[in-house]
Amino acid sequence: MRSPEPILSIQGLKKHFKLPTKGFFGREKPVVRAVDGITFDVIPGETLGIVGESGCGKSTTARLIIDLIHRDAGAILFEGKAMGEALSPKEYRRHVQMVFQDSFASLNPRMIVRDIIAFGPMVHGMPQKEAEELAYSLLTKVGLDPARFAGRYPHELSGGQRQRVNIARALAFRPKVLILDEAVSALDKSVEAQVLNLLTDLKAEFNLTYLFISHDLNVVRYISDRVMVMYLGECVEIGPVDEVYAHPRHPYTRALLSAMPSMDPDKRTMEPPLAGDPPNPINPPPGCRFHTRCRFAEDVCGTVSPVPTVRGSMHFAACHIGTPGSGHSRAGETT
Amino acid sequence: MAATVLPVPFERSPGYWANVWRRFRREKLAVFAGCVLLAILLMAIFAPYIAPKDPTFGTMLRRLRPIGTPGFPLGSDELGRDMLSRLIYGARLSLFMGVVPVFIAFFIGSVIGIAAGYIGGAFNMVVMRIIDVFFAFPSVLLAIALSGAMGAGITNGLISLTVVFIPPIARIAESVTTGVRKLDYVEAARASGASAFTVVRTQVLGNVIGPIFVYATSLISVSMILASGLSFLGLGVRPPEPEWGLMLNTLRTAIYVQPWVAALPGLFIFITSIAFNLLSDGLRTALDVKD
Amino acid sequence: MLFYLVKRVLYTLPVAFGVSIVCFMLVHIAPGDPLTSVLPPDASAQLQQEMRRLYGFDRPYYEQFLRWFGRALQGDLGTSIATGRSVTSELVKAMGNTLILAAFATMIGFVLGGLFGFVAGYFRNSFIDRFASLLSVIGVSVPHYWLGMVLVIIFSAQLGWLPATGAGPGGSSDWAWDWAHLKHVVLPAITMSVIPMGIVARTIRALVADILSQEFVGGLRAKGLLDLGVFKHVVKNAAPTALAVMGLQFGYLLGGSILIETVFSWPGTGFLLGNAIFQRDLPLLQGTILVLAMFFVVLNLIVDLVQSAIDPRIQRS
Repeated sequence: MRSPEPILSIQGLKKHFKLPTKGFFGREKPVVRAVDGITFDVIPGETLGIVGESGCGKSTTARLIIDLIHRDAGAILFEGKAMGEALSPKEYRRHVQMVFQDSFASLNPRMIVRDIIAFGPMVHGMPQKEAEELAYSLLTKVGLDPARFAGRYPHELSGGQRQRVNIARALAFRPKVLILDEAVSALDKSVEAQVLNLLTDLKAEFNLTYLFISHDLNVVRYISDRVMVMYLGECVEIGPVDEVYAHPRHPYTRALLSAMPSMDPDKRTMEPPLAGDPPNPINPPPGCRFHTRCRFAEDVCGTVSPVPTVRGSMHFAACHIGTPGSGHSRAGETT
Repeated sequence: MAATVLPVPFERSPGYWANVWRRFRREKLAVFAGCVLLAILLMAIFAPYIAPKDPTFGTMLRRLRPIGTPGFPLGSDELGRDMLSRLIYGARLSLFMGVVPVFIAFFIGSVIGIAAGYIGGAFNMVVMRIIDVFFAFPSVLLAIALSGAMGAGITNGLISLTVVFIPPIARIAESVTTGVRKLDYVEAARASGASAFTVVRTQVLGNVIGPIFVYATSLISVSMILASGLSFLGLGVRPPEPEWGLMLNTLRTAIYVQPWVAALPGLFIFITSIAFNLLSDGLRTALDVKD
Repeated sequence: MLFYLVKRVLYTLPVAFGVSIVCFMLVHIAPGDPLTSVLPPDASAQLQQEMRRLYGFDRPYYEQFLRWFGRALQGDLGTSIATGRSVTSELVKAMGNTLILAAFATMIGFVLGGLFGFVAGYFRNSFIDRFASLLSVIGVSVPHYWLGMVLVIIFSAQLGWLPATGAGPGGSSDWAWDWAHLKHVVLPAITMSVIPMGIVARTIRALVADILSQEFVGGLRAKGLLDLGVFKHVVKNAAPTALAVMGLQFGYLLGGSILIETVFSWPGTGFLLGNAIFQRDLPLLQGTILVLAMFFVVLNLIVDLVQSAIDPRIQRS
């Protein structure tokens, strides 16, 4: 099955941070491979979840996609047009917006809510009056009464209210794609549920496409259509959410899911949870980056990087198991 | 859709500066210092109406009279000029020479520091290394070196004091801006596609100007002392202009004849300087600036 | 540690170079050139030309700078236009006097400021704390040259206890370690000690309060503030920073002594600088400022290195 034309196409995205310290004369400066060659498509109207442990490069990926940090390599195509070439960064940012994790740090403490929301449209040439009216109407849309909230400062709002303002701020651009970087992670569970429902409603109303980044597997399962699993700056598995959760193919995904608490005893897996911390991204292990923690690791895993292979509709995993002829003793097995 | 919504009347919270003012009013000592400074400022502005005599006219017959002499409530100086009138007029140049350099340096230093902090990278490095060079001079030494080389005069004094205060203000501005630049709301504004100038103007400026301003006010006290010090050395203001530092200089030889008259101008410098310091401390608390 | 040392020294070099550029430029921001002020106004154009060539002022700036810089590296800071003696020889003598004055002032300021700061931080928000903070505000706000005058008025003019000017009896400018000379240093040193006192008190107060508020001291504090263990702990932890502040203040006083030296006619570098300004002796001005600024740079370096040797955590980048 051929997937529909992607709204956003990420191709070979790379970001290596040079560490400022310890570069002693001739010695090469250490490099953190925060994002190391990620390729995926986002389909119009879907919600693509991105999960992984902290430090796996999720947030860096988000900031790369919105071009807040500049990529070292790779291309970002919006509706087939390369950002920075056929599409100017400014124009691109009208279509792709982001909601940040820290609802407090992401709102300017010196501006009232109305001005925070109206700022974006005004940058893109909307007259002030119109932008302010848009702000009032968006406040209503995100469930905040403009008469009460438009004139407030961020520190006078609760965490949930601030995150609603953040969402309104992003929506003010009339974007097609919204990147939600741990957008509900800092909220209380009850507030989190409200904001998730709001996001679902808004998505239908404004025909949005979501890129939902979170470390919370339950939330990702609830909201996403497809899910991508990241490990040490790489994509290890991507596929429809039900399929990935029901039949994870990468040992890392399985370990991750087994660590997820389940209310249903039948769904509890016998998979042992992950041991230890992820290796240092400064010197990632060669071959498959997961082999140092993988139960099934063999010699080939330490030398050859696995290539993502398809299994089922749009379900890819980068593991030597399940890749015929990879040299792994269980190559080609359905896991 | 926007057309369906009429401008909504809304409750507006008291702004940031309103809160600052509310907190400032609670700082009793700073409010008092502010009143003292206001009095000195009024004295300077209305000097021609307040001063009983011409500050530049003196007669050798009545030189160095003690405090309390009829017609000379605060005595007379070495040329027989009325001390009270000279002290009142002296507030003009002394305040001017103390405050103006800090204000100019506040603008220039903020621009340099905010630019360096926001742009970062190699530009930041070059700018900050140049600033470091000026930091290698103790401020007194730099002020004296510059105005010593350029020669006496009000303009030269102003220039050298301004140059002295630009580096410290730029350094503070740089560090505050570097801290703010990484915050999410600045990132969000950048992600809106706004130009760097717009982001700095709307998002960064309002959040860094408070701390920089507090720091600059704390320098006024130093600037008052330095400016008068320059005149005291014979740099800066030239005779016969009344200026507290210069008066202190010309009265130095009189300390064995009329010691307390000779010490009076210094007392005024001291009072102004300490008032600026207390005011600055109060502002720091009111703006909630952490050191 | 060695790495940090090398890095810190390498970082100092461009600063020192920049400082010498600034000092070189001092002569050239002056109106005219350094000779205008010493040549008689009616000097013939030919004489002016001759002198200019002799001093090398007809050369391009970068060449003048390189020559000046090269000579300065060898310890030759040029010739004083006013006295005709070498700037270096004038400076060496004056530097000794300034070092003595600054050392006394630093010690007094550090002992008193440290004491006030320590007590204030130890018994925070007590009466003595408020008193100490008032004192430190006064210390940083007082025009020290005026304070010097007031002290002279009280102790010399009125009471006649101490001499007002000079470094020794009879206006002698040579220091000696005897009672007659020591009497001369009392007033200027006390005046000068006020400059670091307020800053030292403020720093130490914050430092002590910070140490006492740390959690692990909580256990010790249960024994009461007057317990010897608590006291020792605070002193041990406050010492490195206190010493660093003292070192920096010493350097600051060396360069900032000019006003006080002028008030007391103390024959040090500041006094020399005052004369250089008064007589528009630009080579002397330039040389004095270069040496004082370099002192400050080197002292900064030493303080940093000593501090990081005592406490490796504070390797400033």
